[in-house]
Amino acid sequence: MHTHDTHEQHGHGESELGNRYISEHYYYVDIAPYPTTPWGKFSRALKRTLRGELFVGLWVVLREMFKFDIHTVQYPKEKLLVGPRYRAVHAMQRLFESGTERCIGCGLCEKICISNCIRMETRLDEKSRKEVSEYTINLGRCIFCGYCAEVCPELAIVHGPRYENVSEQRAHYIDYAGMLTPIDMAISGEQKEFDGFGAVTPHEDARVKQTPLAY
Amino acid sequence: MSIHFTIDGRSVSAKRGESILQVARREGIYIPTMCYLPKTTPNASCRMCVVEVEGVSGFVLSCNTPPVEGATIRTDSTALFKERQNIMKLYNVNHPLQCGVCDKSGECDLQNKTLEFEVSEQSFATKEQKRKNKKWGVLSYDPYLCIMCEKCTAVCNQVVGSEALYIKPGGYKSEIDNHYSRCIQCGECISVCPVGAMASTDFEYTANVWELRKIPSACAHCSSACNLNYEVKEIGIDSGKGEQKIYRVTNEADHDALCGAGRFGYDFENRVSCKDERAFAKVLKAFKEAKTIRFSSMITNEEAYLLQQLKERHGYRLINPEARVYQKFLRAFSSVSGVSLYGGDLKRVAQSDYAIVMGCAVSSDNPMVRFALARAVNNNKAYVGLFHPIEEEGLRNIVTQHLKHEVGSEEALMALLCDAFVPSEVKKSHVSFFESLDVGYICGESSVGEEEIERLVRQRVRKKAPVLVLGADLYAHPRADNIAKMAGLLERFGGFEVVIVPSDTNTMGVALICDLDDEALSPVIGYNAQGDCVLSALGGSDLDMPALNQQEGTFTTVDKEVVPLNAALPYHGYELSDIANALGIVLKHVIDLTCKLPKEKGYKEVAFDDLPNRYLNHGVQIRGYMLEPLHVSCEENIGVIADIQEYNGTILYRCNPISQFNLFTDKTHQINDRAVILGSSQFAEAAKIKSGEEVRFVIDGRAMSRKFQVSSKLKGTVAYHPDFDSFEKSAAYRYQKVTFERV
Repeated sequence: MHTHDTHEQHGHGESELGNRYISEHYYYVDIAPYPTTPWGKFSRALKRTLRGELFVGLWVVLREMFKFDIHTVQYPKEKLLVGPRYRAVHAMQRLFESGTERCIGCGLCEKICISNCIRMETRLDEKSRKEVSEYTINLGRCIFCGYCAEVCPELAIVHGPRYENVSEQRAHYIDYAGMLTPIDMAISGEQKEFDGFGAVTPHEDARVKQTPLAY
Repeated sequence: MSIHFTIDGRSVSAKRGESILQVARREGIYIPTMCYLPKTTPNASCRMCVVEVEGVSGFVLSCNTPPVEGATIRTDSTALFKERQNIMKLYNVNHPLQCGVCDKSGECDLQNKTLEFEVSEQSFATKEQKRKNKKWGVLSYDPYLCIMCEKCTAVCNQVVGSEALYIKPGGYKSEIDNHYSRCIQCGECISVCPVGAMASTDFEYTANVWELRKIPSACAHCSSACNLNYEVKEIGIDSGKGEQKIYRVTNEADHDALCGAGRFGYDFENRVSCKDERAFAKVLKAFKEAKTIRFSSMITNEEAYLLQQLKERHGYRLINPEARVYQKFLRAFSSVSGVSLYGGDLKRVAQSDYAIVMGCAVSSDNPMVRFALARAVNNNKAYVGLFHPIEEEGLRNIVTQHLKHEVGSEEALMALLCDAFVPSEVKKSHVSFFESLDVGYICGESSVGEEEIERLVRQRVRKKAPVLVLGADLYAHPRADNIAKMAGLLERFGGFEVVIVPSDTNTMGVALICDLDDEALSPVIGYNAQGDCVLSALGGSDLDMPALNQQEGTFTTVDKEVVPLNAALPYHGYELSDIANALGIVLKHVIDLTCKLPKEKGYKEVAFDDLPNRYLNHGVQIRGYMLEPLHVSCEENIGVIADIQEYNGTILYRCNPISQFNLFTDKTHQINDRAVILGSSQFAEAAKIKSGEEVRFVIDGRAMSRKFQVSSKLKGTVAYHPDFDSFEKSAAYRYQKVTFERV
């Protein structure tokens, strides 16, 4: 029994209520009523056994085996791209061209961290600028919530895409030197810009306001 | 007489001389300000404090306008908000957007008010000037961050009295500059700076303000025991057990001042890893044999009381020469004044309009005496007369009349003051004393002219609040007893409020609590002092003790207040109370003794945890409690003054550089004055030595050798000889004749 009519009726009512989960292309599947009598149940079992549905399944497998365009990802050899908002172990970015570390030592990531796993020490460097002398993330405590990357005003601390971590302790996953983009990569422009939470949105340039009379 | 008016519909009343803003603050009504600093006179440059007064067109500056009877004032309206918002927009012109790295971020006035008045963008800009960051010792100045509120110059002139900071004018180019030779490195300018322009060189970029835990306590370096906050944080990432250190010291800068020693001399803690049981056993054995305990006045009231109990129980002699002479002086003073304590305090000095100072190295003995005098001069146009043999360049903005006298003539000069200020009917009961005064002789021998004294006396006319400040030169004077009695006479009948400045941190407490002895019997236990067995908070002794920033307890200050001291850092070793416990005095914490301090000396039965330590909105400090002044019988007569002794030749004056008080300040990493003899070029000529030469000499029976340096800030024929670099504190007269021997 096709149920276009009932669907129309339902759909009308729902769309009035604004139920965005029901599309106009939805329809009810034709499902035979469940057998209630012992005889009915027996005859259903008999039908299912003798109709050879088992071989249908076997045929599909056999057919796909010889078609050679398999959809399975061949994991260690093949890797899926992770989404830009994926939050794996952290990375520290550098500025393009100069290769200077982006981190200015403002301490916001330390402050916002809800599992209290970030600690940094800062000092005055020879150029009278604030310099980060020590930076650690206790990955044993980190819950990978992404707040640090979101709050960072310099897009310095970000979440990397590297999800393959094998160790006895999470602390071994990465250290500061490992998080930091290698300087030659930064200078040659190979460093990938972060697109996740806290990143600059594509239309940000248009939103920047100039100070009137700025020299 | 009070003035009644309303602010925001609330009826309030003002005393004469109070501004609208002061009344509002007292009543807890909020008026935003940027340049207003309650402890100085308003400079009225920011215009944020504007209010609306009914019937008056335009806005009125609340910081320098006194209210009129019946006025109706509004502190908030749309127009006022717009006005203040516009002011904030102008403050933000070209202000660097570097809050992320600025030290002030999180406690910045500009940041707070920018958010409060919803300035979300910089709507104006101007051509940036080329400016240079400056570094003046402990102080760093970033002109780009400076908003020219002038708070720093105001404190430097009015509170510190050194007039080092000034404004280099030039419109948008103007910036702050420093007459560096006048700067005493107190850091007051840092504490009042609303933005990050004036920063501590040492603290810069080491911690964010929100990571620091504030521990309110009392400064441990001089008898003012100023209120301060130790700000602590973990030492670093790899400190392991989360060991903490003090990163900086702050205070309630709007209302109170702090000197350089308090602000920068904080890291004198004694780090020990554990209880050293063997050393403890050894010291305990020494205690069982010892007959004397020698100690310094760098001690809390509770520990002093504990020593007194040990004396009562085990018969130790208690030796503290410096507190002993103070104790004798105070007793002699009250034997004439009739009250156990002197009547004045430094708050009264700051409010006075006439001050005579005698026997006190004003800048270095107790910097708060200097600050109080500077405030008196600037706020009340006070007349300050200073009796001192050494003229100091740095005091010329504070001292109105310097009465430079010969060394040793203090008694005679005090007698002249008595002669001038004690009413004639009182003089009748001290006939022999007053009749024997030979003014001509005194003036001749002390080389203070008669007309100088006359000028000083004449200025006293029509002054409402005269004070007399006495310093440590007098306590060990050969004629100290008589000087104290004359001071007592001046307080009782001369109309003066006297302040007898205690010579060390808790000299007052020790003098009141302990029964001190004059002669030591060996073997001697030294507690932060010399002895056969030494307990020291500096480390490297027979047993380590906690330093004063690791202890809880109370101090008795120059203001006769009992103020709480909190531990900024933990201490893992043995304390004096452990020794007392082992010697049969059972107590759990040393602060259990706070309520047991002797009531017969004026202490009150208040538990340590009940001692308040806070400020009210309008700056009134509620801290600890005041000692109760008690009446004592007065019978003693004043002796006839002795002949003035002559001090000729090479005279050294025991006096430390500003901010250096003792071995503890010497230990701190930001206070680096070296122990050298400082003298004028005139002194160098007379003593036939050159700047930079090493000399050997004997002083108070102790042979020592020191470097000599000529200081252009000094005049006269007496040189400064520091004693901060030694445990051995002399209680002899501060001026000593020596013979130099070139090394």
